[in-house]
Amino acid sequence: MFSEVVTPELFASAVRLATPIALAAIGGAVCERSGVVNIAMEGLMLISAFAGVAAALLFGNAWIGVFVAVLASVLFSAIHAWASINLRADQVISGTAINILALGVTGFLMETIFGHPGTTDTVKTIKPLMDLPAGGGGVLGTIWQWVDVVFLSYTPLVYVGMFSAVFLTWAMYRTRWGLRLRALGEHPRAADTVGINVLRGRWVAVLISGFMAGLAGANLTLEQVGSFTENMTNGRGFIALAANIFGRWTPGGAYMASLLFGFADALQLKLQLFSDVIKIPPQFFLMLPYILTVIVLAGVVGRAVAPASVGKPYKEKG
Amino acid sequence: MPEQMADTPPNRAASTVDEKQFALEQERFQRGVRMATPFISVAIAVLVGSLVILASGKDPVAAFSAMFFGAFGGARQIGETLLRATPLVFTGLAVAYGFRSGLFNIGAEGQLFLGGLAAAFMGVALGGLSWMLSVPLILLSAMIAGAAWAFIPALMKAKLGAHEVITTMMFTYIGRYLVSWIVTGPFKAEGAIPQSPMIPASSQLPRISDVFTFIQPNRAHFGILIGVVAAIVVWWILKYTVLGYEARAVGFNPTAAETGGISVAATTIKSLCISGALAGLAGATEVMGVHYRLFDQFSSGFGFTGIAVALLAKNNPLGVVAAAILFGSLSAGAGTMQLEAGVSQKVISIIQGTIIFLVGAETIVSWAVSRVRRARGGADV
Repeated sequence: MFSEVVTPELFASAVRLATPIALAAIGGAVCERSGVVNIAMEGLMLISAFAGVAAALLFGNAWIGVFVAVLASVLFSAIHAWASINLRADQVISGTAINILALGVTGFLMETIFGHPGTTDTVKTIKPLMDLPAGGGGVLGTIWQWVDVVFLSYTPLVYVGMFSAVFLTWAMYRTRWGLRLRALGEHPRAADTVGINVLRGRWVAVLISGFMAGLAGANLTLEQVGSFTENMTNGRGFIALAANIFGRWTPGGAYMASLLFGFADALQLKLQLFSDVIKIPPQFFLMLPYILTVIVLAGVVGRAVAPASVGKPYKEKG
Repeated sequence: MPEQMADTPPNRAASTVDEKQFALEQERFQRGVRMATPFISVAIAVLVGSLVILASGKDPVAAFSAMFFGAFGGARQIGETLLRATPLVFTGLAVAYGFRSGLFNIGAEGQLFLGGLAAAFMGVALGGLSWMLSVPLILLSAMIAGAAWAFIPALMKAKLGAHEVITTMMFTYIGRYLVSWIVTGPFKAEGAIPQSPMIPASSQLPRISDVFTFIQPNRAHFGILIGVVAAIVVWWILKYTVLGYEARAVGFNPTAAETGGISVAATTIKSLCISGALAGLAGATEVMGVHYRLFDQFSSGFGFTGIAVALLAKNNPLGVVAAAILFGSLSAGAGTMQLEAGVSQKVISIIQGTIIFLVGAETIVSWAVSRVRRARGGADV
C-alpha cells in the first residue's frame, strides 16, 4: 500500500492544495508585519473565488476571471483597511464582519445571477503552464517522472505562489520598504518619528494581503475546482492565519507551513481511497487539517513572537 | 495647582472655560452617538440591504413589508420569530460573555453542535424519566459538552496565548465533522437518512401554545423562556458575583487585573468555558424544542449570528434578548420575502454583516454622524 500512497502525485497534490492557503498566508504575513490583523482573508478568498467564476463565465476567459477576482478582493480589503487604519476600529471585528458579508454577498449574487443556491455553472479551468512528455522506462525515466510531476506540472498561480514567497521574503528583509514595513508592526510611533507614513504603509500592506487573497480565491475556483460552491473556502482563510503564525510572520515560512497543511489534506484525500483497508470513517480524515492546525498552534505559539504592535490601531499625533 | 491658576491671565482662563465647555459638549455628543449606535447601525444596514435589493432589480419596500408581515403578521408568524430567536439568545449570550472578559468566541457554532449532540444522546438515554428530571439533566449535559468543547481553546489561550479566534474556529469544523460522523454511524436512527433517533416526549421542550391553549397554535417552544432566564442569570453573574467581576476586570484591563490579584489565566479559562456552556444550550434547545433529533445541518450558523446579536446588544445580557428577537424576525421574515418579493434570503446575511461592521467598529458610526453634522453646518469642527 505504501507504494500506492507515496507517489509523485501525492506530493504534487500537496503543493496544489497548499497553494490557496499559501497565497493567503503570504499576504497575511505582510499584513500582520505592518501591524494589522487580517482575519477577513476567509471572506476575501470566498468573494474572489465567486467573482472569478462569475467573470470567467461572463467573458469566456479565465484570465479575466483572475483579474476580476483580485479586483474584488482588493476592494473588500480596502473596507477593512479604512475601518481598521483610518477609523481605528477593532480589527478582528471588522474582519469578522467582512467574513459574514462575504457569505451574504456571494450567496445573494449566486441566487440573483445563477437563479439557484448551491453551486455555479462550471468554467474551463486554467491549464498547467508546461505540458512535458512523459519519460521512458528505467531509473532515469522514473526520476524524470518525479521531477516532472512534483516540480513542473502546475498551473500558473501555483508558481506565482512560490515566486511571491521568495520575492516577498527578499523584499521584507532586503529592501527599504521591508524594513519600514517591519517597523510599522513593531513600533509605529518610532517609525512615525523618523518620518515613515504609518497609515499609508499599513494601507499598502492590507491591500497586498487583499491582492494575495484574491489570487488564492482565483486559484481555488479557476485552477482547481472550476466552479463556485457556497462557503467553499471552508476555513482555509483561518488555516492561512495559523500557517502565517507557524511560519513566524515571514512569507517564506508561511509558504512552508502551508505545504504542511497541503500535505495533510492530500494525504487524507489519498487515504480515503483505501477506506476498505483502513476502517476509519471519512469524517476523521476531513478533520485532519483542522486538528493539525490546533496541534501546530499549541506547539509553536508562545515560542514564536508576534509583531509587537499587531492588532493595535495607530493614532497620528496632531 | 492653585498657584498656576493664579498666574493664568484672565482672558486665558475664559478661553479655558470655553474649551472645557466645548470638550464637555463633545463628550456628551460622543456618548449620545454611542448610545444610539445600535439603532443607527440597524437603520444603515436596512438601507444597505435596500440598495442591494434595488440593484438586483427588485422592490425594497415590497421586500421589507413582506419580511415584516412574515415576522409579525400574526400569532403563527410571531411564534416563528420567537422560535428563530431562541438559539440566538443563547449564542448571543455566549459571545457577549466572552467579549465582556476580552475573549472573542467566534466558535460558538462548534460548541452549539456539541451541546446538540449531548442533548440528543441524553434525551434518548433518559427516556424513562419524568420530564421534571430529564429536561434539567439534558440542559446540564449540553452545557458541560459546550464548555468541554471550549476548554482546549481556553487552555491554549491562557497558557500559550494562542488566539481563540483561530482555535475555536478549528474546533467548530472538528465538531461539525464529529456530529456528521455520529449521525451516520454510531448514533444513527434506522432508515436511509443520516440522523439520530428521535428523543421521547419527556425529553422535549413543548410548544408554548400546546400548554397554554388560549394562544393560537404556533411553533414557539419553552426554550425562549429558558433563554430569558439565562439572560437574567448572566446579567446577575456579571453584575453581582466575584466570577463576573473578575471576568469584567480581565476584559477591561488584564494587566491591571493581574496586578490586583486576579489570575488572568484562570479567569480566561472560566469565561471561555461559560461562554461555551451557553452556546451548548443553543444546541440543546434546537434539538429539544424544534427538531427532536440531531442531524448534521441542524444549525444554520446560529453561532455566527450570535456575534451580530452580542455586538448589537453591546454585550448587555438583557439587550441580547431584544437583539436576538430582531435577528429572529429577519430570519423568520426572509422566507416570506423570498416567496412574495422574489428577493434572495441571503440579503439578511448582508444586513447582519453590515450591522457587525457598524456596531463592532462604532467609530464608523460616530464618523458618519459627525460627517452628516458637518454637512449640515453643525457645531462639530
